[in-house]
Amino acid sequence: MSHFLLMVVYALQVSLFFTILWRRGRRAQIKLFLQLFLGLVGGGLLVAWLMYPFPLGPPTGPAP
Amino acid sequence: MSDASGDDQQPSREQTVATNGRVWAAVVLAWLIPGAGHFFLGRRARAVAFLALVAASAAIGLALQGKLFVVVPEQPLSRLGTLASMGMGPLYFVLRFVVDYQGDILAPTYEYGSAFLLTAGLMNLLLMLDTWDVAQGFKR
Repeated sequence: MSHFLLMVVYALQVSLFFTILWRRGRRAQIKLFLQLFLGLVGGGLLVAWLMYPFPLGPPTGPAP
Repeated sequence: MSDASGDDQQPSREQTVATNGRVWAAVVLAWLIPGAGHFFLGRRARAVAFLALVAASAAIGLALQGKLFVVVPEQPLSRLGTLASMGMGPLYFVLRFVVDYQGDILAPTYEYGSAFLLTAGLMNLLLMLDTWDVAQGFKR
């Protein structure tokens, strides 16, 4: 399963939860939902981009 | 004389006990079934939405073979993870002691699943606090 899809599902669920928990009124809810959702997805992509130059794991060499 | 007028402002003992009982009932219900505390307090639409979100989070976490936290003495932070996971309510204990669920550390989605399971517990803990606020009249 795509990691990006899972991240989007997670962001969607968390954004919906806090929107319903913290806001009343349609306009305020839509505003907070978009802020949270775009912040989570955008933030995730930004962190991924910043980490792109770093290696994925320990260096692999030829088998002894 | 002034004492009498001051006492009028205070709820009677019976009223306090009834209110406290209602508050605690709502909080315990919220832990037992996500959203049940809000349902008990008449916030039915919100209750259904919360139940759906927490249940979906737990279900996705289980489908992804995530980790169900247990206390590991050598890992102090596992206590926090376990406490957070216990926020799921009886489901945590069913998964741990009845089903003997452990997740699959080799699954590629293991870390995601763990995040979803942990989030389900944390969301329900927040719902318990919110239920407390609503029952006390601090929040609509």
